[in-house]
Amino acid sequence: MRGGSMRRSLAVVWWVVMVFLYLPLGVVVLYSFNSVNSAATFAHFSLRWYHRLFSNPQIIEAFWHSLLLALISSMIAVVLGTLIGYGMYRHRGRRLGWLIALIYLPIVMPDIVFGISEMTFFVRFNQLTGLLGPGLGTMIIAHVTFEIPFVALIVYSRFVGMDATLFEASKDLYAGPVRRVCHFIIPAIKPALISAFFLSFTLSIDDFVISFFTSGPESTTLPIYIWGAIRKGVSPEINAIATLMIGAVAIAALLSLALSRRRSASRQ
Amino acid sequence: MSSGVPRALRETRHLLWTTLPAALWIVIFLILPSLYLVSMAFMTNGPYGQPQLPLSLEAFHQLAGFGFLGWSPGNLYTLLRSLWQTVLSTTMVVVLAYPLAYYITTCRQKWRPIMLLAVVVPSWTNQVIRAFGWMNLLAPDTWLSELAVRLGFIPEHLGLFPSSFAVTLGLIYNFLPFMVLPLYAAFEKLDMSLLEAARDLYASPVRAFLAAVVPQTLPGLLAGIVLVAIPAFGMYVIPELLGGGRSMMIGNLVAAQFAEGSNWPLGAAGSILMLIATLVGIVLLRRLGRRFGGGEEVVI
Amino acid sequence: MTQTTAQADSPDTRGTSTTPEYAAPDAVPRDASSISLRRLRKSFGADAVALDGVDLDIRPGEFFTLLGPSGCGKTTLLRLLAGLELADDGHVEIGGRDVTEVPPHKRSVNTVFQSYALFTHLSVRDNIAFGLRMRGVGGSERQRRVSEIADFIKLGGLIDRRVDQLSGGQRQRIALARALVCEPDVLLLDEPLSALDAGLRSQLQVELQRIQKRLGMTFVFVTHDQQEAMVMSDRIAVLNDGRIQQIGTPREIYEKPVNRFVASFMGHENLFDIESREGDCIDTAALGRLKVETPPHGELVMIRPEALELGSEVSSEFNRFEGEVREFFYRGSHIEYRLEVNGMRMKALSSNQGQRLFRIGDRVPMCVWPEDLVTLAR
Repeated sequence: MRGGSMRRSLAVVWWVVMVFLYLPLGVVVLYSFNSVNSAATFAHFSLRWYHRLFSNPQIIEAFWHSLLLALISSMIAVVLGTLIGYGMYRHRGRRLGWLIALIYLPIVMPDIVFGISEMTFFVRFNQLTGLLGPGLGTMIIAHVTFEIPFVALIVYSRFVGMDATLFEASKDLYAGPVRRVCHFIIPAIKPALISAFFLSFTLSIDDFVISFFTSGPESTTLPIYIWGAIRKGVSPEINAIATLMIGAVAIAALLSLALSRRRSASRQ
Repeated sequence: MSSGVPRALRETRHLLWTTLPAALWIVIFLILPSLYLVSMAFMTNGPYGQPQLPLSLEAFHQLAGFGFLGWSPGNLYTLLRSLWQTVLSTTMVVVLAYPLAYYITTCRQKWRPIMLLAVVVPSWTNQVIRAFGWMNLLAPDTWLSELAVRLGFIPEHLGLFPSSFAVTLGLIYNFLPFMVLPLYAAFEKLDMSLLEAARDLYASPVRAFLAAVVPQTLPGLLAGIVLVAIPAFGMYVIPELLGGGRSMMIGNLVAAQFAEGSNWPLGAAGSILMLIATLVGIVLLRRLGRRFGGGEEVVI
Repeated sequence: MTQTTAQADSPDTRGTSTTPEYAAPDAVPRDASSISLRRLRKSFGADAVALDGVDLDIRPGEFFTLLGPSGCGKTTLLRLLAGLELADDGHVEIGGRDVTEVPPHKRSVNTVFQSYALFTHLSVRDNIAFGLRMRGVGGSERQRRVSEIADFIKLGGLIDRRVDQLSGGQRQRIALARALVCEPDVLLLDEPLSALDAGLRSQLQVELQRIQKRLGMTFVFVTHDQQEAMVMSDRIAVLNDGRIQQIGTPREIYEKPVNRFVASFMGHENLFDIESREGDCIDTAALGRLKVETPPHGELVMIRPEALELGSEVSSEFNRFEGEVREFFYRGSHIEYRLEVNGMRMKALSSNQGQRLFRIGDRVPMCVWPEDLVTLAR
């Protein structure tokens, strides 16, 4: 076989793509430690942008907004998404095409149309009733809307992957409707619930477009803050925040790797 | 059962109380707003950019380029540019992801999850930060820009950003993982013995690959194209940050009508166009998927 | 439940009263329940009739088997007993109580599922304790009963394992323990051995039967394997197309099937149409005139393969004929011959007593005793 040379050229493609993928992130990290404000030259190592970052109350506030938004929206989305995921599973024999279309809608709708729809709706609603002015409340509503489908799909596929006779076994072993939920269904899908929560959380933290259109002046999140700062002009301070966020992602990546390692190890 | 309520009724009640909360949430907070947005496109632009009665098709005229000063091709260019950027970046992503996904499947089992993670991790960071990274790399006076100047691609003292090129690069960067994952899944399921059988039947390895491997990966490829092309067409952040005013895509055109409060009906008309494009994309790929993919459902 | 006190007072009275020959001294007596089904009907959609008017009585403490091919309605019947399906019509009584409309979690009935249906999110111990917990049995009592059943089923170290570390046979035992620990009036078993390999299977057949005899519990067992059914059961009901074909002891079902379906399902091949009859004689196209012991009724005559005597020294003066050996299979304890008699195929089993074996092409005289001929309905 000519596999040898072919594999070598594939390996070259692999490493080129790796450089392509990590170069922009690497540059951000590198220049966050730059002592001078320049994207072209690296003078010497310095933590001055980090000092500036932590003494900037706007950034600290934006961080808390992001966290709060992600936490609250994920919790609501997990509850609603789990319910609908279970309903879709339990009644999968029925014609639920409309429900599935509904669930996929937030996923396929372009972000920008999603965000603008919400914005115009909330503005009009606010004009009519004086309620739901732009702020964390409207952002939470919008985030829950795009998180529900992911939770529902994760929970649904977990149910589909389960042995259906387990439901019968729980009934057979004297579990009434309430106990069945507390002692069987929730514990059985706990891994799916946890991963659904973390996915929602990440999606929320990561979102810019929809947040941007539903936020108010008092509810700036980190991505919105960064966006604003970039538009004002590239600043090394942004490098520092970005580096911290990249660091968080790296930790999450390592954790997920360790988790999958442990899971596959325990299976053998 | 013992409760005395007929079984069918109880089942329906169960279906309603489990699915209604989320379904209503989506109806109230997404479907109603989008219907409101759609209806706005048929209203007239008020003095403060607010939609108002009477109903008219003015917004669509404006979208097609008719303004106070007669017809101008600006909006049409934006639309064509969006299509071109989508096709170009999707094609490039396929070209890069295909060998990449194949390469991962040829590596040892224990390395594969790590390699997949390596491909996916950059996309976990915020979109804005990723675009910002490219801004740093492609700005004037950076080594990449210097190199481009030396090679004569761009005039002196200009950067590779802002430009259409930067937008394409940003789109490829953004969507590469979305293509690698479904393709990898397709390659992993692949029956490699078919490749060997094809080697017996066809003379060249290239023909063997085309005959035995490519058809089997089509479902994954189509899934990847859905995952890349649809969001790429509606992309907002990347053209906004990496492209200048001349690299605007339709998402930016739409957003501009709202962010600056200039013309909501026009923005709404643009949104309808984006929704239609999304719908056409999904329907088209589902059709193709059914023809090639043995009816396998595309699950995101 | 009440049997805890009964156990303390007289450990073996109930057990011995139901099954004297098997009762061990440490038998744990339980309240075995009778089951009676009346005109039970169940269909899934218009064309799929699963049960078509079933009447059945199962005695307390009986090992009762529902036997039939797949789709015959046996599993549906079991699920109606468990309460996992609701009947369209008819009644289910367990222990004299009408439970037709009672949901599964309120029936004192437990099931060992074909897939075992063990909860993978729970340990083995918590799996076994699940039913007791749902019934509100307190912590220490629960612990005691779980260890008691673990000893009884001889689970040993398995109890502290995780479910995904268990083999098929081990899962089967856990599923059994999980059902038994609840001390149900009736235990339902849905093909619990079908996923196991042959060796383990026959070992567990014996074990299941022993457990049932020691507990004196009513077992309703579903299988499509007639060997398994015969080995284990006190009585068997053969089902086909949602109807009961025959109810009887394994011996009755095997030796005196009532119709062609039961006969072929029990593995009988030597079935011949009766052309005409005269007194205690019948005429068949293949074997000519045959003498039967009882006055014949029905349209078919059946000869069990092991009832055929082969060789020139045949003992019966009636029912003699000659066949040509077409195939033979040496099975160790016996030899299976496929013979051709007047253009009809016949199967014969002769036990291996060291005699000379016939070869292919040999013409062999054979006979069958009148009392071994069974006439049955079509």
